Amino acid sequence: MSLVRCDGVVQIFRAQDVEVVALRDVDLTIGAGETVALLGPSGAGKSTLLWLLAGLLRPSAGRLWLDGADLGRLDQRRLDRLRATHIGMVLQNPARNLIGHLSAAQNIAFAQRAVRRDRRRARELLARVGLADAADRPAGRMSGGEQQRLALAVALANAPKLLLADEPTSQLDEESGRRVIELVRDAAGDGTTAVVVTHDPAVGEALDRTVTIRDGRVGAEGRRGEDFVVVGREGAVQVPPEYHHLLPPGSMARIEELEDGIALRRAEP
Amino acid sequence: MILRGLWERRTLSLVVLLIAIVPIASAAVGPIYAAAARTTIAREALAAAPVEGRGWRYTTTEGDIEAKVAAFTAGADFTTAPSYGMELSSGRRDDERAFSLVWQDGQCAHLTLAEGRCPRAGGEVMASQTTGFAVGETVELTTVMKSGPGSTGRESAPLTVVGLYRPGSAADPFWFGRTLFSPTGEPSANKADALFTVPQTRLDTYIVSSGVSIGSADTSGGWTDYAVIGIDPARLDGADLDRLSAMQAAAEAAGRDSQVIVFSRLADTLKVMTANADALGVPTLLVIAQLVGLGWMLLFQTVGDLVRARGPEIALARLRGLRRTRVWLFALAEPLLLLAAAVPLGLLAGHVAAGAMIGALLPPGIPVAFPPTAALAGVAAMLGGLLAAGPVAWRVATRPVTEEWRRTPRRSARGWVLDAVVLAITALGLVELLAAGVLTDVSGRGSSAMAVPGLIALGVALLAGRALPVLTRRLFAVTRRRGGLGPFLALRQVARGPVTAGSVVVLGAAFGLATFAVSAWSATSGDYAETARFHNGAATAITVRPVEPRKLIAAVAAADPGGRTAAPVIMVPGPPQLVAADPARLAAIGAAWRPALAGGTSLEQAAAAVQGPRSPRVWVRGDRFRVRLQHDLPPEGWRIRMSAVFRVPGTLRAARLPLGELSGTSGTHMWNLPPACAREACELRALRGEPVPPPEYREPAFVQVTVAGLAVREQGRWRSLELPSWRVDEDPDARDGTFAVTYAGNQTLRPDTYAPEPAAVVVGPVGRKAVPGLDNSYAMPVRAAVASAAGPGLTDAGVLMDLEQADRIAYGVHEKAVHQVWTRLSDTAGLERELERQGLSVVSRRTVTELTASFTGQGPGLALLLLLASALAAAALALGRTVLALHTAARRRGYELAALEAAGARVAALRIALLLEQVITVAAGTLAGLAAGLLAAWAALGRIPQFAAAPVTPPLPHQVAVAPVALVVGAALLLSLVAAAVVAELLLRGVKVERLRDAPA
Repeated sequence: MSLVRCDGVVQIFRAQDVEVVALRDVDLTIGAGETVALLGPSGAGKSTLLWLLAGLLRPSAGRLWLDGADLGRLDQRRLDRLRATHIGMVLQNPARNLIGHLSAAQNIAFAQRAVRRDRRRARELLARVGLADAADRPAGRMSGGEQQRLALAVALANAPKLLLADEPTSQLDEESGRRVIELVRDAAGDGTTAVVVTHDPAVGEALDRTVTIRDGRVGAEGRRGEDFVVVGREGAVQVPPEYHHLLPPGSMARIEELEDGIALRRAEP
Repeated sequence: MILRGLWERRTLSLVVLLIAIVPIASAAVGPIYAAAARTTIAREALAAAPVEGRGWRYTTTEGDIEAKVAAFTAGADFTTAPSYGMELSSGRRDDERAFSLVWQDGQCAHLTLAEGRCPRAGGEVMASQTTGFAVGETVELTTVMKSGPGSTGRESAPLTVVGLYRPGSAADPFWFGRTLFSPTGEPSANKADALFTVPQTRLDTYIVSSGVSIGSADTSGGWTDYAVIGIDPARLDGADLDRLSAMQAAAEAAGRDSQVIVFSRLADTLKVMTANADALGVPTLLVIAQLVGLGWMLLFQTVGDLVRARGPEIALARLRGLRRTRVWLFALAEPLLLLAAAVPLGLLAGHVAAGAMIGALLPPGIPVAFPPTAALAGVAAMLGGLLAAGPVAWRVATRPVTEEWRRTPRRSARGWVLDAVVLAITALGLVELLAAGVLTDVSGRGSSAMAVPGLIALGVALLAGRALPVLTRRLFAVTRRRGGLGPFLALRQVARGPVTAGSVVVLGAAFGLATFAVSAWSATSGDYAETARFHNGAATAITVRPVEPRKLIAAVAAADPGGRTAAPVIMVPGPPQLVAADPARLAAIGAAWRPALAGGTSLEQAAAAVQGPRSPRVWVRGDRFRVRLQHDLPPEGWRIRMSAVFRVPGTLRAARLPLGELSGTSGTHMWNLPPACAREACELRALRGEPVPPPEYREPAFVQVTVAGLAVREQGRWRSLELPSWRVDEDPDARDGTFAVTYAGNQTLRPDTYAPEPAAVVVGPVGRKAVPGLDNSYAMPVRAAVASAAGPGLTDAGVLMDLEQADRIAYGVHEKAVHQVWTRLSDTAGLERELERQGLSVVSRRTVTELTASFTGQGPGLALLLLLASALAAAALALGRTVLALHTAARRRGYELAALEAAGARVAALRIALLLEQVITVAAGTLAGLAAGLLAAWAALGRIPQFAAAPVTPPLPHQVAVAPVALVVGAALLLSLVAAAVVAELLLRGVKVERLRDAPA
């Protein structure tokens, strides 16, 4: 059963007189308990998709369901409620997820404000992320790795169904990054669906599935170590960059029909 | 959590706290200061009032005085303990004089014992030396009868004189202005000085009136009980005015249905108090309103800064799914706590500041009260911060969360609605102000016009806030091509920075108000000094007890033989007012004068122009006066009584000597001169006749009388006097000593010693109006030798004339006339000693400085002082807030600056950029404030009230002193530059390339 379903999601930003299309006709389904890495170059629209999934933005077009709720049609109060109970989010900069002058425990308690204060879960989470001894330490005095782990604990404070993380390992050393990924996988083990924006191949490999966004579209998906291109709504297929030397952008190709698909061959008109 | 957050943002929190404290303190200062100013007004009015205006004398013939007085003074804690007394009036057999038999508690301490002792037992009295009684003598009064065993009931009670007193001063407040004894020591023939006794006398006697017993020993009948109730200035405060008015109303109504009479002139004192207190109220309220408004604006921006500084936390709260209202409350928590903490601190600061202001600006001893209105005003000011915090927090709570994570905040256009409303109100107020002319009513009307200074400051600041980005955008295009990176970055930031506009508005408004306050204060101080200079006449005006003009002139001449230090002056209130002075001395002592107001005429020229003829006066010294007359035969049945009028040394009024009746066609008439004329020369001022008609007559009498000779007897020998040149008031052509005695149009013959229309400096619309003259008889108009818009000693339309001339014209000196000696000196002790040595008695002195200070102590002056002190404080705070806002804004651009440095921009260019940005903003705000303040001063000065009662003269110059304004603006600019340099350096230290790693997605 899918927890997240995007159906032709379009996101357009308007800045003064300029319109920027961040996402175009994104179709994506993520099952409950699945862990997904969102890959793609900078500016491809990964973070925008993440913000849409968090209900922080409303899609310009298309529909987006989370646990059966159409996010675009929820009023603000229900959206806030949904975010409190269903979504946990880790922002890119670890410090940004935390209130620096509050202790680790207080940061988790702050995240529980909108739902229910659960001290036992807070303790468990701190223990799970290895910060049991740092419960009373101000978050601002923690190392980057500790902060990222704490950010993850904060995001999981209300046992969300969907965990969203934006570059959770980008500012961490390898060991810290590895621990964070393990924590994400652990959360998934508890039934939490995780969507992680990352540039880190190790993260992609560690998760169940990768979704590559290019130019605002879902260009490819990877499952069990194998990458697939995704055929878009109008039949468009993005050639992965690693094949651009065979089919450079702007080149022409012939389609050859095969039994189970088609083959593209460079043509020289 | 809230406290930790406040500590985390301690600098900003402290600034918000400070800025919240200021409007609360300003709001609280107003009522505290106003209460103290009202107390000052009440006490000064009380101090200036005559003794009868400083309390009540409560009298009753119904007894039970203590209870009545207790009811009258109930709830009034500012009254002194009543001084009780009793009295009765009676005659004495074979004595034409009326006697008062009096007891007043504590009387012995206020009577100077000449002989014997104070009465101790019933039937004992103490008499004045002037009564002629001797110690041991028994006095019997016709209405005071002996009471007790053995008395027949019709025997006068013997009152034994046990002591004699010297008449004291009636000015002693103890007597409450009563004339129980003649202050001159010469009681009239009809009334003797009081006999003082003890209460026991009342028990030992009873009183009869016209043979009817009206009282006995055990009732109060026949005696009048009284109590003198004073007001203690040290316990009177401004809040007592209502109670005082109620007491006075009760006093005035007391006699309607009871035998109670309450005598007082407190109504006059209350009028002065109320007028000044009213003059204080509205300006003070407006000053407070403008300052609180400014404080609100500062609060609005700073509280907004605090809320925005919590943006990341608020975004996190949104991210974690907190509902909007909870996010809003979360955003409000810190500002609310600060505002709540600011209330007691602000009230305390207001109390301390008001105390300092009261100590510095008001007379010593004025208590620093804390009226409930001060607390209310403080809370109201805090609500302004709440109003600011609420919307700002809501905006931050509801804006898209993703906006918080943008590196460069989107530009948000400022709405025009608020600006348009403020500018419209400003324009309306300005039109009203300019159309209204001088606002003389300070009790409420024209209030919007009086708010114009603040509105102009705000309006100009708003326009400047709009204009600066536009101007810098134009210059920005220039710096793109040349000028370097620093100016380019600075102008770009000023042009697009929302902080710039806000800072310019705050600075412009604050400095506008400060510039106006300084301008208004300097101009008003100048106006006060100018007014005081003219109203006082000279540097110091010494008031002396009235003496005849000749003696005053002679005493001053003797005390200041050089004629360059002192001038004798007599002033009569008019209208028109009369100031009679020695013109030459007036010019020499530098009396108040301004040639520009007198068509270029100098005081010396004016003095020369008003001097009159010095023809000889007719002095007589001796014991008997004789005049030889030739005249028409008086008509049958008519009696023509002749009289001569003399000025007698030692008296202010002329003495009239009867010279007998005319008979035949000529005759010699004589009469004894007053005894004083034997010691000192008296002056013949006039001769006149009085026709006394028969019971029936056919035609009116008309008898022409000619003076043929004058003589005086001195030491037994007659001496002829040289006949002077004569004039007749009613017939200017008659010069030969002939005048008419008629029933209608009777004439007076006077020695021709003065000009019929004396020359004078005329101030105001006097025209052909008769001036009072020294005798207040309004006998003649004056000739305008010099017309001036102001003259020394004149507070209204009036004339300045030669004292010698005025003395020659007048028959005497009226009791309203004020005798002064004007001097250029400020330390007058030596001069006063000399004047006392010459027989003058100095009553008081007043310097220009003191009079200036009294103007400052009036309502509008006190309100302006409040504006000055508070506006300067607010301007300093606005400057600090602006520097902080620029610092915060620049810090938020740290990423951008770090990127520029990483891209190769030199630190010097970044320094110039930061420095220039701040200097442009602060200088624009300060200069906009200067322009706004000067515009407000131009529009409002001369129209807003400066005095409780606007003076008619002199014309007020309203001259703004450049130095204080330049000092304020210069200090502001200097501070701005220093602050900008420091802030730029601090910011540059925080710009590090490592910060780029902190980049969000």
